[in-house]
Amino acid sequence: MSVEAVARPKFAEPWKKTNQRSKLIQIIASTVPIGIATAAWLFAGVDLIVSVLLVLLPLQLIAVGIAGFLLKGRRGVPDAALIVMTYFLGTFVMVLLVSVLWSVVEAGFAALSPQFIFQNNVYVTPTTGLEIGGVGHAVIGTLLVVGLSTLVTVPLGVATGVYLTETRGKSRGVIRVLLQAIAGLPSVVAGLFVYSMLIVTGVSAYAGWLGSLALVPLMLPTVARVTEESLRLVPQELRNGALGLGAPSWRAFLMVTLPAAKSGVVTAILLGVARVIGETAPLLTTTFAANNTSINVFDGGLATLPTYIYNYVSLGFDTSIQRAWGAALVLLILVGILFGAARYVSRPKSLKAKKKKEKR
Amino acid sequence: MAQTPIDAPVRRTLRVKPTTIEDKIFFGISTAAAYSSVVLLLLIMVFLGARALPTFEEQGIVEFVFGTGWQAANEPPQFSIGPMLWGSVLVALIGVTLAVPMAISLAYFIQFMAPKPIARATTVLVDLLAAIPSVIIGLWGLAVFSPVGAHWGQMLNDSLGFIPIFSNTAENFLRTPFIAGFVVAVMIVPIIASITREIFSQIDDDLIKASVALGANRESTFRKVILPVSASGIVGGVLLGLARALGETVAIFFVLNLIFDDFNWFRIISPEGGAIASLILSKFGEASETEISALLAAGVVLFILTLIINTIASFIVAKAQPWRNR
Repeated sequence: MSVEAVARPKFAEPWKKTNQRSKLIQIIASTVPIGIATAAWLFAGVDLIVSVLLVLLPLQLIAVGIAGFLLKGRRGVPDAALIVMTYFLGTFVMVLLVSVLWSVVEAGFAALSPQFIFQNNVYVTPTTGLEIGGVGHAVIGTLLVVGLSTLVTVPLGVATGVYLTETRGKSRGVIRVLLQAIAGLPSVVAGLFVYSMLIVTGVSAYAGWLGSLALVPLMLPTVARVTEESLRLVPQELRNGALGLGAPSWRAFLMVTLPAAKSGVVTAILLGVARVIGETAPLLTTTFAANNTSINVFDGGLATLPTYIYNYVSLGFDTSIQRAWGAALVLLILVGILFGAARYVSRPKSLKAKKKKEKR
Repeated sequence: MAQTPIDAPVRRTLRVKPTTIEDKIFFGISTAAAYSSVVLLLLIMVFLGARALPTFEEQGIVEFVFGTGWQAANEPPQFSIGPMLWGSVLVALIGVTLAVPMAISLAYFIQFMAPKPIARATTVLVDLLAAIPSVIIGLWGLAVFSPVGAHWGQMLNDSLGFIPIFSNTAENFLRTPFIAGFVVAVMIVPIIASITREIFSQIDDDLIKASVALGANRESTFRKVILPVSASGIVGGVLLGLARALGETVAIFFVLNLIFDDFNWFRIISPEGGAIASLILSKFGEASETEISALLAAGVVLFILTLIINTIASFIVAKAQPWRNR
């Protein structure tokens, strides 16, 4: 009785896909549709988006589908569709997102100059050229308002995170749910709330600290939740070790748990600040955007970068919109600094940190 | 020999309460902080409710939420947010519909297709873009995207205008729900993409290897293994994006025309729309006491809507990411 060898399937050895023929097929499949679509756009006068959506995409699907069929048989066709759609949508969205960044950088740099960063807006009308006036007062205002808000929120948020991880309090579940609920508070409602509570009733006029107050509920959930998550990553054995050596809970926390979770807590603070530094609506309803430089948070109007952008966009003149772009670039740089700092702090430091991450 | 009975071991209670003063202070501070955030929320809710109550009473809840018209000058004033509420939902739906395929593609590309350096760079870029303030995206939407979007709307209307969705009542394609939805999509894509990417990265690699070893190709691995495992996490991320879209104020305010008297059910490239947050922003400046109450009532409705979505989302995400709540 002889054993017959099973016929070798035609498309075996899928890892061997880089021979001359398959390379050629791949190159043709990926360049020809782009060529045709570009030609349609440039020479036949087809609109760019139409040629991308109605010429490039179907042709690319067909071409890569055929290539997939030639290289891998029937099973290659859905693969081809998946690859084309991924590249297409991914590229599309990256183009959009990079367009946002690029337009801010491009239009912002046109407005940027030393005096734009340092001067305030006292003598500026909407049509004043960019030679005088700037966002100096708004930068100071943003730093003051967000700084005050941070000063209030960070102890509260970190301590809430401690309560959620380090204690066995009964209401941890409830508090987690409530924090989630605060996270859903629309920012404009927070601002309107402060406006109706303190400005309409005449307790205070427009002032910077009201803006800080409106930012607190927006910042708190972020700080508390990220703190909680970073404290939770500290291995329980560390705490037990400290307690077993006879440390009281507070020393165990301050000298063992907190240092172990330091980078996470700092990240929590930075993320919280990044969350609110660009908030516009709550500040529009609570701080009056003044044109002069002021460092008094408790009395009088205080301009901030987001409200500055909003005001100068609303004015609608060419120069005022240029100013808004400049302010947007300054704001973006501030966010970028915060973001870079957060990444720098939370980067894995050693192999141990990496292992911890993997275990998660 | 009589044995003296040994006492059965007495069950001791384990002491978990802090005993020393310092510990009491430590736990006291953290508990106080935690409860103060509860107090904060309750304060907000109670005062919002109290301020909004007169409007609900005068207008009637159903009439306020689902009716049309916003006439502060009338006597008595008439406030209804029906078109605004639907407008918020419509813009958010357009945004999410556009954002989800893009975000999932981006996450799939980063996690499963891109070479490592490109994947790392794209991840950083996406995370950075998730942190961009919405006012900047609004500025981009107004100055850069609006003309382009209007042009797209014009072409859609020219070629497919007979379909009701693409009909247009004005000869103007700026400030439409489509443009607002697109801007919102650009805003929430990075958020959804970074959540989805994190969920993809947590999928057990063995699952994917097993699927490939069994002869599955890329597409069937994606459809039959990756998607089912990560589906609930992605849904949670999408709902979080939806809540962000509903609460968005300034970006939408820049690029959407608010119409109070009529529902715009589906004409997405017609310049009529609404959004509750933008309504608040546009009216609060010269509002009277009663109108502010009405605006706060609108805020309450929006808050409740986002609250529901957020709760569902956090529930789903918690289910999908068991490593988060060990």
